[in-house]
Amino acid sequence: MIKSMFLNLKKYSFLMSQLILKDFKVKYKRSVLGILWSLLYPVLMMSVMALVFTNMFRFRMEGVNYLVYLITGLVIWNYFNEATQLGMGSIISSFPLINKVYIPKYILPLSKCLFVGINFLLSLIPLMLIVLFTGNVAEGTKCYINIYYLIIPFIVLCAFMFTLGVSYILSCFAVFLRDTIYIYGIMLTIWQYFTPLFYSIEILPGWLQKIFVLNPLYIYINSIREIILFSRMPSIPYLIMCFLSGAVVLLLGLIIFKKNQDKFIYYA
Amino acid sequence: MIKINNVSMRFNLGVEKNNSLKNVFIRILSFKKRKKEEFWALKDVTFNIERGEVIGLIGSNGAGKSTLLKVVSGVMKPTKGSVKVNGVISPMIELGAGFDPELTARENIYLNGAILGYSKKFLNEKFDEIVEFSELKNFLDVPVKNFSSGMTAKLAFSIATVVDPEILIVDEILSVGDIKFQEKSKNKMLSMITGGTTVLYVSHSLDSIKELCTKVVWLDHGQVVKIGDPKTICDEYYEKLMGKKNEK
Repeated sequence: MIKSMFLNLKKYSFLMSQLILKDFKVKYKRSVLGILWSLLYPVLMMSVMALVFTNMFRFRMEGVNYLVYLITGLVIWNYFNEATQLGMGSIISSFPLINKVYIPKYILPLSKCLFVGINFLLSLIPLMLIVLFTGNVAEGTKCYINIYYLIIPFIVLCAFMFTLGVSYILSCFAVFLRDTIYIYGIMLTIWQYFTPLFYSIEILPGWLQKIFVLNPLYIYINSIREIILFSRMPSIPYLIMCFLSGAVVLLLGLIIFKKNQDKFIYYA
Repeated sequence: MIKINNVSMRFNLGVEKNNSLKNVFIRILSFKKRKKEEFWALKDVTFNIERGEVIGLIGSNGAGKSTLLKVVSGVMKPTKGSVKVNGVISPMIELGAGFDPELTARENIYLNGAILGYSKKFLNEKFDEIVEFSELKNFLDVPVKNFSSGMTAKLAFSIATVVDPEILIVDEILSVGDIKFQEKSKNKMLSMITGGTTVLYVSHSLDSIKELCTKVVWLDHGQVVKIGDPKTICDEYYEKLMGKKNEK
């Protein structure tokens, strides 16, 4: 099953690229700056965050470049947030199409996750600039570009697999039960506060910290922060957990999707 | 070329009303098994299509013609039975599926072509031919939302017919565009048919069926009534329908 999917993937790569291109074109049609927004938007968002959290609320962490701490978390979180929401609706919004022409349905959530993924990669540029220019503002921080950056693509890949798996599951659920869209919106808000984006996990009681470790997004964010903020190698158990959570959820998503995809058409 | 074996297709008419959370809860709480209103769009349809044959599908509205086309083209999986297809299918069931109104004609040619399974290389080669045939050279960079329905249909037809498919599935699309374009599209279809393409063709125009097809399948309420020579079946079908009307 997986093998035939990969073979198909090659065959349908042109269709995928067209779908992703379409998303970009439609998104920026009629805006003057066009595709430049993909770069400008994260920059402006990060600036706002930087102003709010470092000047208004004055969040601080000892020995940590708080701005970079905040933005690494947000970049990963935003990717997951946006990609799963788009992926969830991808089947429903394509019903006019899959009702008429045969296309393999699994490429729809995939193309959405890739589309948001490209935006995610672009938002890494401003992040890197921040690291370069504000890296060691405070004493004792170790925020600079280092050899462990080579591990980041692996963690990003794990996060991508996890996101894709969740998108597959949600897109199925949403077809059969449209309420999923609203329920998931609420769940995302809860999930966001339970992921240490603004705060450090250390301010929480010990038992809660143990539960937080079960959150795959925390694992990804934490591993990347280890590299970017502390120039340390993430712990091996964490890296294994990164991979396992991504692979297991993706596999689960594929199985659920594959089992149900022939029924989608009745719920159009 | 195409083997259709005991194909049945069931739809649950009640499905639409039942997929909200409230109804799901009510169903769980009331311990009632969901009452299904079943509708068989196809019942035990069996026939084979050989290479080079031009099959016409006739029958009144709701007879299951379009459903059969969708099953053959792979959009739907049959509830029972199987469909075996050897060859590349070009479905012209609904033209312009996947056109994005915001995109220009040029962009939509690539998008729609990709959806129909063309490769990038193929589209690059055939781009001029598509534009030429569609007669829309001056409107290439206009968003499709600003097109008239005739222009959209012309563009869609041109993209769909640029290939030389092994199997062509056509659902009543010859009435596209103005008279000139209709004539042109009909000739295009004819040249495809004489080129040895296997065709599955749905139409309510018995004249065009008689003219184009080598064999006719008559469907009624999802079942095959008769298969055979176009002229005899079409005449019989016409008599049956008009006869019914006279009884009223």
